[in-house]
Formats: sequence, C-alpha cells, structure tokens
Amino acid sequence: MTHQGLGEFEQMVLLAIAHLRGEAYGTPIVDEIERRTGRSVARAAVYITLRRLEEKGFVSSWMGEPTPERGGKARRHVKLEAEGAKALREARHATERMWQGLDPASLRAR
Amino acid sequence: MKSSVAPPRLARALLRRALPDEARDAVDGDLHELYVARRAASGAAAASAWYWLETLSFIMRFTFDRVTRTMRVLAGGDASPSALDLKLGARMLARSPGLAIVSGLGLAVAVALGAGAYAVVNSYFYPDIPLDEGNRIVAIGKFDTRRHSEDEQLLHDFLVWRRELRSVVDVGAFRTIRRNLVSETGQAEPITLAEMSAAGFRVARVPPLIGRTLLDGDELPGSPAVVVIDYGVWQSRFAGDRAVVGRQIRIGRAMHTIVGVMPEGFAFPVNHQFWIPLRVDPRIAVAPGTGPDLDVFGRLARGATKESAQAELSVLARRLAAEGPAEFAQLQSRIVPYTDIFLRAEAEGEIGTYSVLRFLIALFLVIVAMNVAVLVYARTVMRTGEIAVRTALGATRGRIVAQLFAEAFVLSGLSAVVGLVVVAVGLRMFDHALAGYFEGHAPFWLHSGLSAGTILYAMALAVLAAVIVGVLPALRATGAQLREAMGGIGSGAKARLGPTWTVLIIGQVAITVAILPLALLKGSEMIQLAMRESGFAPGEYLSARFIVERDVDAPALAGSNDAVADSTRAIVTTLLARLGAEPGIVGATVSVSAPWEGLSAAIDADGVVNRGQRAASMTVDTSFFRVFEMRVLAGRVFGPGDAGLRISDRPVVVNRSFVTEVLGGGDAVGRRVRYRSFGNDVQPWLTISGVIEDFTPAVRHPGGASARGAAIYHLAMPGEMSDALLTIRLHGRTPEDFTPTLRRIATSVDPMLQLSKMSSLDAMYSEYAKGPVQLALVVALIAGTVILLSAAGIHALMSFTVNQRRREIGIRTALGAPARGILQSVLARATGQLAAGVVVGLVIAVAADELSSGAIMNKTALYLVPGTVAFMLAIGLLAAAGPARRGLRVQPTEALRAE
Repeated sequence: MTHQGLGEFEQMVLLAIAHLRGEAYGTPIVDEIERRTGRSVARAAVYITLRRLEEKGFVSSWMGEPTPERGGKARRHVKLEAEGAKALREARHATERMWQGLDPASLRAR
Repeated sequence: MKSSVAPPRLARALLRRALPDEARDAVDGDLHELYVARRAASGAAAASAWYWLETLSFIMRFTFDRVTRTMRVLAGGDASPSALDLKLGARMLARSPGLAIVSGLGLAVAVALGAGAYAVVNSYFYPDIPLDEGNRIVAIGKFDTRRHSEDEQLLHDFLVWRRELRSVVDVGAFRTIRRNLVSETGQAEPITLAEMSAAGFRVARVPPLIGRTLLDGDELPGSPAVVVIDYGVWQSRFAGDRAVVGRQIRIGRAMHTIVGVMPEGFAFPVNHQFWIPLRVDPRIAVAPGTGPDLDVFGRLARGATKESAQAELSVLARRLAAEGPAEFAQLQSRIVPYTDIFLRAEAEGEIGTYSVLRFLIALFLVIVAMNVAVLVYARTVMRTGEIAVRTALGATRGRIVAQLFAEAFVLSGLSAVVGLVVVAVGLRMFDHALAGYFEGHAPFWLHSGLSAGTILYAMALAVLAAVIVGVLPALRATGAQLREAMGGIGSGAKARLGPTWTVLIIGQVAITVAILPLALLKGSEMIQLAMRESGFAPGEYLSARFIVERDVDAPALAGSNDAVADSTRAIVTTLLARLGAEPGIVGATVSVSAPWEGLSAAIDADGVVNRGQRAASMTVDTSFFRVFEMRVLAGRVFGPGDAGLRISDRPVVVNRSFVTEVLGGGDAVGRRVRYRSFGNDVQPWLTISGVIEDFTPAVRHPGGASARGAAIYHLAMPGEMSDALLTIRLHGRTPEDFTPTLRRIATSVDPMLQLSKMSSLDAMYSEYAKGPVQLALVVALIAGTVILLSAAGIHALMSFTVNQRRREIGIRTALGAPARGILQSVLARATGQLAAGVVVGLVIAVAADELSSGAIMNKTALYLVPGTVAFMLAIGLLAAAGPARRGLRVQPTEALRAE
C-alpha cells in the first residue's frame, strides 16, 4: 500500500475518536476537538474528513437506531481501525523525530 | 410539540440535497438534535439562524468536496482533458455561434465584474505596504465601544503611547495640513503638507536622496522652521538643482529652509510631498482628551507581534482609564494595520459594504454561469445519443466529463480573457478617477494595473465557470439519463429540463421587469444631465474652492474657536471687498456648494400631509441670488439684517418648484418647514421669507431622484464657511484672464487663504456631469446582460421543446392539425414562464416602491413598468419565434423516419 500521510485536521479527528472510545459520532467529535484545542471547528469539515478517513480505511462506521429526538434519523457511529491507529502512531513518530535534538534557541523569532 | 420543534424545512431540504447519500441521514439527525437543544436554550429564532448558517456551511463545503473529487477523477488516467478536447471545444463553439456569443458575453461581463472588484478591493483594502518590512508598520487607533465608532487620537494619547509603549518602536504621528506655497513673485498655490514626527522617516526606513530627513530636534519649539521635499517637487520647482538644500521657501506665513530631498516614489505617510516637523513642546503639560486630532503610527519592535503589542496597549489603556474621567472607560486602544489610517478617514464603514458587494458580484457570476450551464445543458442533453454511443464504444464517464469540461473551458477561458481586457481598461479609468480625487497623488501603497493575483483570480473564475457550465451538466447527462438513452440509441433526447430551468427563466424575467424601469429612469436622468447645457454663460462665471486654515502650533490649539471664526470672517470679507473694487467684476458670492450640488433631504411642511417630499438644501451668502440674477417671485431674499440673527432663527428662501412640490402651491411666504426628524433629534421649524425662480433645468438636482427641482436656501455669513466655493461674475473679462489676478489678490489678502480648482462654472459643471454617464454605462451593461441571458434562455428552452416534440408535431401535422393550434401549444410553456416572471417582477417592483414609500421608483419609474413588460414579452416571443417556426416546418415524413 502506498504511504498515506495524515493532515493536521485528520489527526485531530482521529485522536478525538480515540479519546471518545466507543461513543464517537459527529457531534461529540466536534465537541471534543473544540474542548481540547479551544478553537471552533466547522462542523461540515469534520463530516467531510470522516468520510475521507473511512475511504482510506482508517475508521469504520455503522448506523445506530433511529430516535425521535433526532427527527427519526439514526446516528452514524465511528470506530478507529487498526490502520488508523497505525497512521496516528506514525505521524507522531515522524513529528517527534523532527523535534529531536532541536536547540530551543533556534525557535526564537529573529 | 413534536412537529413544532423541527428545524426550518427549506434549510433542511437544501441540506439533504447537498449531502452525499452516506452522510445524509447522519448529518440530518445530528443537526436536528443540536437544533432542538439550541431551541430549548436560546429560542426559536436563534436556533433557526444557527441552523441556516450550518446548512450553508455544509452546502459550501460538500459542494467543494464534490468538485475536488471530480477534478481528481478527471486528472487521473485517461480522463484528463487533452489538446484534442480543446480543439473539439473550439469547433463546437464555432458550430453554434449564437450560443457561444451570448454565453461568452455573459461570462465575460461576470468575470470582468468579479475580477475588477477583486483588484480594487485588494489594492484598496488589503494592500501590501511597499516599504522595508512594511507589514510590521502599524497604526494605533482608538475605538469607542459604546458608540461603535472610531474615536480621535489626540495629542495626549500619542504622547503617552510614545513614552510608554515598548512593543511598538518609533511611535510617531502626523496630520495633513494645507498651506499656500508662495513664490518669489507673490503667486500662491495651495499645497498639502505632512506635519509629521521625525520618527516617520525611521519607520519608513528610506534614506534621503540629498541632505537629511527631519530630526527629533526639529520638533522642539523655537528650532528653525525646516521642510523636506519630495523628488517630484525637487524636479518641477527646482529643476533638480543639487544645491537646493539650504534654500528658503515661503509656506503659509513663515519661511522654511529646505533640509532634504526624498527619493522618487516616497510619499509616506500617505501621499505627501512636503514634510514639516510636528511640533511638540515638552514643557507644556497636555491634559487627557485634549490636543489636535492626529494619526499615530509605529513599527512593531523586534520580537513583538500584533497580539503582544495589543496586549501591552490594552494594559496601558486600562491604567489610563482608571486615572481619567468615566467616559474614558468606553474607549479602547487598538493596534490596526497601517493602511487603516487612510481607510478610517476616507472609507469609514465601507469595508462591510465592500464585502457585501464582493459577495453580490460572486453571486452574479454564479447566476450567469448557472444560466450558461443551463443553455449548454440543453445542448448537452440533445447530445445524449452521441454520448451514449461513445460510452458504448468504451469511453469512461470521466473521459466524457473531461471532454465537456474542456469544451466549456474554451468558452469560459476566452470570456475571461475578454473580461480581463475590460478590467484593464476599467482599472485605468479607476486610477484616473482616483488620481483626480487625490489631485494626482494617490496613497503610495495603491498600485494600479492588472496584477498577477487578479489574472489568477480571473482564471480561477474561468475554471469555476467551466465546472458549472461543463461538468455539472455532463455529470447529469452521463448519469441516470444516459442509462435511459442507452436503451434507445438514436431515438433522440428523452431528457427533461427540470424545475431549475423554469425557476431561472422566471427569475430572470422577474428581475428584468423589476429592475429595468429603475435602470431606465436613472440612466435617462444621468444621460439627460450630461447632455444638458449648464445654462451658465461659459465666459461669465469663474469659481474656485477656498479654504482658510488655522496656522497654530499643535499644543497651543486649545485656543478659542471664536478667534478662528473672527479671523476667517475678516479674511473672506476683505477678499470680497477687494474683488468688488476690481474692474470687470459684477459681483462675487460664497456658497458651500455649487448650485447643482445641494444635499437632498426629506422635508416636512407645517400643515401639509407627509408625502415623502424632498428638497436640495444649499447654504449661500447674501449676494448669491444677485450674482446669479435670480428673480424674486414673492417676499424677500436674505439681507444684512438676517446676518445678526442666530443661525436657527434665520429665515429660509425656497424656489418655485419647492412651492409646488413640497408645499402643494399657494402663498409660501411666512409658512414653516423643517427637516424630517429621525429618532429624538427634533429639527427646528424654519420660516420662509421669500420665493425665487428655479435655476435653469440643468441645475436641478438629479442626484436625488425625488428632489426634482425643489431647493431650499439657508443663509451663512462669510466667516461661517471656512471651506466653500467662491463664484465671481465677470463682465468684459474671461475667467482665464482673471485667474492670475485672483491668485494675486488672494495672496495679498492673507497667505493662509488657499484657492484651488479654479475654473469657469461651466467647465466645472461639465466635469461634474461626467461621472453619472460612466455609471449609466455600467448600469446599461448589467441590464443588457440580464436581458440577453433571459432572451437566450427562452430561446434555448423553445429550441429544446420543439426538438423534443418533433415527432408529435409531425404526427399532428400529418393528421391535418392547423398550424395555429400547433404554434399555440409550442408557445404555451414559454408564454407561461414569461407571464409568471412578469407577475413576480411586478410584485417585486410595487412592493419595493411601497416599502420605500415611493423613494425608489418615485412613481415615475412605475409608469415605465407596462412598457418594460411589453418589451420583455416581445423579447421572449421573438426568442421563441425561430424555434417555433422550425417546429411548424417539421415534415411528417422526416419526423417519423427519424424514429
């Protein structure tokens, strides 16, 4: 399989799913990212990213039961797949390798 | 309860349409749940607004996602468009030139508007500062949080900021003043100077060409008066003499020594050519909230960011607020982009307007592109058979979509090029206008001409248009309909033109019917205005703007306003007296504006029912009516006795049209009128003392359509107008001859009296009448595009209908149906859509007129509505005629053989 890198936002979505364990679907994922990063997130962007992650095989999803408070529509639950977890770990290692041995002084703005 | 808490239905339907199948229910359910929660927490209105915003965000993002996915499909493998596709595209255009021209023109106008707006908005509102690290130069402003408006930066603020701020260095200030530059021969010419801190030159980091820049020592009171000049002045006035440094020039009342020349192109802080030091006396304590209004700038210190500077500034502001009076608490200090210095003065609140305009222009492009898309779609579905054959021969969907994209791109790309040419010409005109506005010196950061960014933007618009025009119809034509067509290759199109089509045509007809009367009215008014003679004898009147400026050092400005008014009055009175003694002068008058430039205002008359009457308001002196030889019809005009009255007690004079339009006729003298009050600010009653004849028809006020001829005149004495228009009536001398004499007289009266824009009143009027013509052209262009597109739409619809019904028409003709019956049935749909459009348009026109209580259409335009309706019907039926005739000529044998 060709190497597929993770974008920053994709990483956030995957990490949010991991944090939420079994309880992940659209709304809590948005909340989780907003809560942890303190930034506001475009809801639609999260759904588009979920779709892309699923196409890459990083997450899988299944429909729950329709409920009346959702206008009779079901939730689409998502779960982190092994491929997704692997991609997250790789992304982290790559970043950490980049940080290794970096002199803090070289980050100072000139 | 259950149904009442559902989200807005239309938004939800749109949302569901925009979402792909697999995301539809999940998103719909999630938003529903959130909507219910929000509604319980903050009410139905807030929840609905939130839901609409979310819907729009989803629609935009998912549409974009879809387009990028399609492009990716197109770019991969055999699907990417080839040179052959482009060639084919060009050939297709040549085969249907009518369609190509109409769609191409529409797209070109849309691209021109879009790219033009982009170029102007970017250079105007988001410019790059062409100085070393220009993006680190900032302005410091104050904002009144209670009044939601910019507040003035006063000398005191500047001094505190300069002393205290660490994250902004080289804090300086300037203000723009006008003075006369007096030559050795005594000729005075008004110039604009920057009275600026020496720090300004350090902020700009531009070294002088010759000599030195201003230094901190020059700011001290008592130091010699010095001036730095720019390259253009050095060349034009001193012929590039390198020994210019040390020479003396007279600016206003004082002699100044030239100490340096700045290099070409340097105009910091805005558009300046002369720099003199901003004097600040450190010995004089400046109280908070006092001192002259200044613009403050600085450079972010090394390591500082806008955010860190803002943090430091806020702390400082809070500390000062605690020390000062209570109203200081509502003042916020802000670090803002440098060019805000200029925007605040010239375009307050316009950024909002411009972003709305930008949005509308983008919307216009999308509408035009959709329109063209529908035109092309009508053709594409007719080619379903061809597409089906190619699919059967092994072409992938991506391949076919790519070809149609390429065809569309040939069209939109050509249109974009045409559009860019229009933009280039338009920008030239805009620059010209800008240069005129700034008297030849636009702010130094405004660049003109087509930038790479603008060209890229236009090309992006072309791609977007090609996607809408080519890819969307292609996707539809190769979708479900293709499967049907595959079943009967060669049987012709089975496709339908859906509701989008109908809505588009109805919408266009409606917009045309609603807007055209207004456009016609405004356009004809503007053109009439330009065609009219001013009515002023060309050689008779000479006019000039004059300004009497105060010449006081900055901190000492707390001085009384009365003294300033007294000196202004003395200067203007002396000038008028001197002019009166000059041979060949019949009279001279001072007014705030030219006779045609009055401000249109709503007027209430005592005892008259409020009908939204308006009148042009003018402020003039006692000799105005005499100089313009205006006949007094009743009562009396202003006399010396009125001057002694308080301004609110002075009578007003009205003209003949005012009596008929505002008062409804009758005896006007002694009646009371007042300006319409908004809110609690009640305007005082004014008593009419006299009625005068109208000016010539040209000198009515076409700017405000509803103030057709009514004018109301207020009295002001010379000292009360410090920036006004001086008009001199000559006899036996021409304005050209008299101009030098006038300059000499003005300089001898007082060096602080500045005269500019001297010209005959006639020439001034021609200049004024030019602007509306250009505006009329733009209005005509847009109106023409809309009409053209709706006619093309109707034409395409008819062709499509006739083509689809060839077989049926053939059979009916074979069975002996009369031609009239067939024509009627063919025209029925087009007529129906036309009628629907006309009705909607009428409703919009009348509603808009009612809502604005007649101010938009001014009733006159409403009379044009029936004409517009007839015009639109004629255009529609003409567009339909060709295809309908083709329908009648269908030969039964031919039509049936095609089966």
